[in-house]
This record gives sequence, C-alpha cells and structure tokens, in this order.
Amino acid sequence: MTRYLSLWLPSLATDRISRHSAAAREAPLATIAKVRSAQRLAAVNRAAARHGLKPGLALADARAILPELACCAVDEAAEAATLAAITDWCRRFTPLAALDPPDGAMLDITGAAHLFGGEAKLLDEIEARLATQGLAARAAIAPTPEAAWALARFGEARVIPEGDREEDLRRRLGALPLAALRLDAKTLADLAQAGLRRIGDLILRPRAPLAARFGKQLFVRLDALLGHAKTPITPRFEAPAYLAERRFAEPIVQRETIEATIRALAQELALLLVRQGEGARQLDVSLFGVDGRVRHLRAGTSRPLRDPAMIARLFREKIEAAGNIDERDPLDAGFGFDVVRLAAEAVERQDEDQAHWLGAATQDDLADLVDRLGARLGLRRVTRLDLSDTHWPEFAVTAVPFSASSTHRHGMDARHKAGHDVQAQSVLSTRPIRLLTQPEPIEAIASVPDGPPVRFRWRRVLHVVAAIEGPERIAPEWWKHSALTRDYFRAEDSEGRRFWLFREGLYETETAQPRWFLHGLFA
Amino acid sequence: MQGSGKAQQISLLRREMAGIATAPPAIVARAHVSLGAARLDRLLAGGLVTGALHEITAAAPGDTPAAAGFVLALAARCAAARNAPLIWIGEDFASLEQGSLYGPGLALHGIDPARLVLVHAANAKDALWAMEEALKCRTPAAVIGEIYSAKLYDLTASRRLVLAAQKQGTTGLLCLAGPVRAEALSSGAETRFEVRARSSPHAASAGGRTPLPGPAAFDVRIAKARAGPAAFSIDREKFHPVFWSHREVLFRDALSLPLAAIAGDGPDQPPQRRSA
Repeated sequence: MTRYLSLWLPSLATDRISRHSAAAREAPLATIAKVRSAQRLAAVNRAAARHGLKPGLALADARAILPELACCAVDEAAEAATLAAITDWCRRFTPLAALDPPDGAMLDITGAAHLFGGEAKLLDEIEARLATQGLAARAAIAPTPEAAWALARFGEARVIPEGDREEDLRRRLGALPLAALRLDAKTLADLAQAGLRRIGDLILRPRAPLAARFGKQLFVRLDALLGHAKTPITPRFEAPAYLAERRFAEPIVQRETIEATIRALAQELALLLVRQGEGARQLDVSLFGVDGRVRHLRAGTSRPLRDPAMIARLFREKIEAAGNIDERDPLDAGFGFDVVRLAAEAVERQDEDQAHWLGAATQDDLADLVDRLGARLGLRRVTRLDLSDTHWPEFAVTAVPFSASSTHRHGMDARHKAGHDVQAQSVLSTRPIRLLTQPEPIEAIASVPDGPPVRFRWRRVLHVVAAIEGPERIAPEWWKHSALTRDYFRAEDSEGRRFWLFREGLYETETAQPRWFLHGLFA
Repeated sequence: MQGSGKAQQISLLRREMAGIATAPPAIVARAHVSLGAARLDRLLAGGLVTGALHEITAAAPGDTPAAAGFVLALAARCAAARNAPLIWIGEDFASLEQGSLYGPGLALHGIDPARLVLVHAANAKDALWAMEEALKCRTPAAVIGEIYSAKLYDLTASRRLVLAAQKQGTTGLLCLAGPVRAEALSSGAETRFEVRARSSPHAASAGGRTPLPGPAAFDVRIAKARAGPAAFSIDREKFHPVFWSHREVLFRDALSLPLAAIAGDGPDQPPQRRSA
C-alpha cells in the first residue's frame, strides 16, 4: 500500500524573507507584484492577514489600511529555489521527494513512517522541524497524492488511515470543499453557481451531465483523489539503486565522526552490492543538517566499485578538496548533521575478473589511483590520450577522461599501432613531444619565399637555424574545416633547441604573404 | 710467536668475514635501471635508482623542452623493462607555457601513449599531492611530475615524495619547469640532473646546404647524487653529452658515436614497432 505525504507551506513567500528573525516574523509583511500596471499584493504573512490584508489587494489600498506594512518584490526564482531546498531537505525522511509547486512538496513515504514512530509522529516532526527553520507548514498523509494534497490544505484530520474502506474514504473526503480538487478558479465559480460546494456533492451525482457542462477534468481529478486512477509523482531525484543511512539523536559535527560514519555506511552498502553482483559507478553522500541545509558530495568511479575502504577514501578526498575552499570547516557543519546517507546512484555489473593488459590486480591498483585523484581534482582532470584518424596536428590527439570507458582502450591500441606503421614509412613524419595549445605566430626570415627559414624570432628570442628538415606538407581536411595548407619544418637552432614550425598558405596560390607559426617543441 | 700471531690475525679476519657474510648488509642493495649510456651509468653506479625520487631542472628557460624530453626518456627507460603504465602529472601553467604532451611525438620518443595516464593539476600543490598519491601505488613504472613553481617544493615536500617512492618501490621523476637554480634546491631527492639542449649529431642534407637535425641530444649535469660509492667522484660541474635513441629506447654516449651510424638510424623509427 503506497502512502503519500503532502507538505504545504502556506506562507512560503513571506517566510522566505523573514524566516531568520523572530521579530520580523511578527511584523506585517507582503510581497508585491505588478498586475495589469498596478502594484498588488501577491502574498501576505499572518500578521498582515490579521489586519485584513489579502493577496490581490492593491498596494495603495493596503498601505491605507496598514501604513507600517513592509513590502518586498516577488522573486519567483528565489521562491522556487527555497522550495527546491526544502524538498531536498525532505529527502531525509524518504528518498522519494517531489516538488509540488508553487508552495508544497509531495513525498512517497511508503514504509518509511515506522522509522519516526508512526505517521502521526512523522507529521509532527516535519512540522516542528520546519517551524524551527521559520517556516509555517502543514502536512497530511493519505493513500493518494491528491487526497494528501487536499487534506493538507483543507482537511481537519491529517491522516487517512491505511486500509480505510471505500465508504470511509468518501465520507472523509466528501466533507472537503471542491477547491481541494485543484480546479481552476473559473470552474470553481461555475460549480458554486450550480450549488455544488463540497466533494461529497459530486460523488453521488450522475457523471455524464456534469462532465458535459464542466469538463472531463472534474472527474479525472475526482477519480485520482479516490484512488480509482493512479497518478505517479515525479521525484526531484531518482531513488538510488542502493542506499544506507544513519540517523543521530545528537547531531555530529566532527569531520572524523562523519568520515567514520561514511566508512560504516560503505560497509553496509558493500553487502547490498555484493549480493546483487554489482558495483557502484557513482556514489553520493547526503549530509542533512539540523538547520535544514543539505550537503551533497558526489564521487564518480572509473570502474564498478564496492570496496568499503576505497569508497571511504574517495569521500575523504572529496572532503579534503572541499577543505581547500574553507580550511577550518570543510563541510560547513553548522549546528551539525543528524542524517548521513550514502547512496549508489549508478551501478554496473561487477564481475570478479576482467582481462586486461595489466592484469586484474594491477588494473585495480591503477583504477583506485585514478578514482582517488579524480575525487580530489575532478575526474575530467585524469585523462588518457586518444589518437584520432586524422593527420591535422591539432586533432590527431585528444585527452579524454580516463574513466570514460575502459573497453575503448583496446580499440585505441590497435588504431594507434596501425597509424604508426603508416607514419614510420615516411622519413619526415617526426612529431614533437609537446604541442602548443595554439600555433604561435613567429617572425621568420627565409632565403626564398617558399624556402625553409634561416632565422626566426619566437617569444622575443631570436633563433638561428642550424639544421632543418622539411617541408612536410599537411593539407587541411577541407570536408571538416577550412584552413590553409601548412608546410611543416623541424628546425634546430644554433644552441641545439628543436622546434616544429610551419608556414601557412602556399606561396602565390593561396597567399601572397605566407605567415609563419611555431607549433611544437622537440626534446 | 710471530706465526701464531699471524694465525690469530687470520682467524680474526675470518671471523670478521663470517660476520659480514651473515649480518644484514648495512646498505640494502638497490635496484637500478641502466640508462644505456656507459658514462652516465658509471657515474650513477649502475644507473637510475628505482624506488627513489629524481629531480630534473633546465639549465636555462629555453632548455625546458629538453628537460621534459630527458624526463620522458628516463621514464621510457623505467617502462622499457616492464609492461606498466606511466603517470604524468602536469601543472596547468607548465603545459600552457610549453604546450601539452603530444601523443604521436611521445610514440616517436619511445613512450607508448596508450600506457600513459595524464593528470592535469591546477596548481603546484595539487600536482605534488597527486604525485605522492601516485607514488604510493605499486603499478606505475614511473611517476612524472611537472611543476612550474618550485616555491612549494621544499625539504618537507620532497621527503614526503621520497618516503612514498621508497615504500612501494615506484620511481618518481620531478621536473621543475620554471626558472630554478639546481644549486638553490634543498631536497631529499636521490639525484638531480640539470639538462641543457645539445646540438644533435647532424646528418648532411641531400642538397648539401643546411644539415638535417638528428635524434634528441642532451648535455646532462649531475648536480646532486646521494651517498653511494661513486658519489664523491662525480664532477658536479661537468656536462655529459648523451643522445636518446628512441628506437632502442636507451641513451647513448654522444662522443663515442660514429656519425655514419646515426644517419642510418633515422630519427623517425618508433621503438618496439619493428619487432611487432
């Protein structure tokens, strides 16, 4: 039996602004937006509502009623961000938490309530915790998302018990106003005019005439509410494949404690992974702060991984990397974390032995190193060279993340060898050990316009050519990019330094004034 | 009396010898990788010590590519005997200045690009950290670090690397790509090489005008060598000319080389591929 918890934050817009000070929460506050060239109230807090202010009222009128009203422009982006943060925080109760804009969240709490001492206790805990964060909230639990939504906003009771019979459900929900069906204002007004006010008024009526008059939507909603049609929720984050978590009565602050917790969780996770014959490719640690903040640490791996020591080490590097930004408190624990969760977000089959040119043990050793370096520096910074089938120097080789694919490597080996045999046939096919990011223009003096350079100046230093080999003509791949033909030379200056130069453009056919560039350096 | 004295002396010596034979050697015999060039090998008492840290500096700013080439050649020597990967850890700024490693060129230099792990470190601190981590790993044939600024690289930093290298027996090669005087460094490294570009043994060009450049050639000075039988005999001021034969994947003494041989070698032939 699926259970849904709907969370409603009735004064999200104003709470967002005044949540951090108790005094501010007591002062009347409203957010304002421009509606048809007039400044109108978009949301009001409780203090303002007490004076009779309502959303939709013109600002001038509101000021006339309550001169000390504080105003703030509506900031939809900030409100959405706050809602997202709260939804994220809700994941401490269940991994399946969906946004329910504009002012709510929907949680799938199937099988989670017992962790908090039952559904009533869970509701209390959510509301109380949000209250300490300065957020007014009301939550309700029901077997369908729609029923939970309706109950949170319009209901007296907060829970529709599990295993409630159909008629009980109808009785409970029938008492709610029609607005609980999430209908638009016009339909609601039309229904009111027809004398229909409560959900119970709809349930027993013949459907056809009502549907013809008010639209099908009415009964789609009603069926969803009563659980006749399933409407899945879209969680903000996918539920992880595997997870392990720990809850603390006393929040933890110390980095050592957090690391020890992650290590213990990694052990639990490893058991789950071993049982399924899988390994993690992406791991997330979520640290839920008592102050409502959630910290996420994410580590990718270059191959399926389940070794607890290795996982713990990856996250140690992550925390270390965070420490580079703030040395004192790398995790910014604040008042401490009371839920720590380790999840394997992506998994892959992990077979015991994999054939590889290095042998399984050495390959693991290397993969461990790559993951560790990647956790601290970023996986994109650990690369290998991939040779491409092109003779254009800039494109001949690219650095690709080492973790990208391990099967790919064999293919590259073969390609690399093939390319090599072709190159080996030519006397001129020498290539530098380093290639500049961009060819750098140089001043070169050649004895004849299409001849090799005699002297050249690079980065303000004059080099006299003592030995030279070339030209090796490299034509652009016209089907890929437009460029001029290059004549490459391998030049050695009088001091024994060796350079890779080219003249851009064929003299007289492509350009009248060929330019010279330095592209690479030899040992 | 005299006879018994001699016998006594002999038995004393015998006992001493027995003691030497059974006692663990004071200096653990260390593994070396021969560089190929007889002179360098002799000076280094057998070659490059593995499981240790070696530093490489450029004699002048313009010699940085030569220093990088020398480091790569050393790494290729380390990898020649083993089917193991090489790890290159480069500071971003150094590759911005000198260009990034170029696969086809590495292959021609004697290094298989498919067995190279390239790590891009944002700064010297990250590079040194990554190098230490990599040295703690048993797999790599050698770990090469290239840092631009030697500011962070002090005695403590070098000792950390030395300890990591000793523990697993992995060889560390640290290339200081920025301006630094070899004598100003203070570190726990095993050896320090200062490298200068050297005119290659030229081959005459077909036209008979400008000659063709030959294989990579270096002037190498051993600026530092830690305790060892040969350490005292090294002339630390002297540059030793060597050239790199990428086809054989080893160094050759440049002076003993007959010129005709190089011309036949051809600068382009990759290593290993011929036999493959």
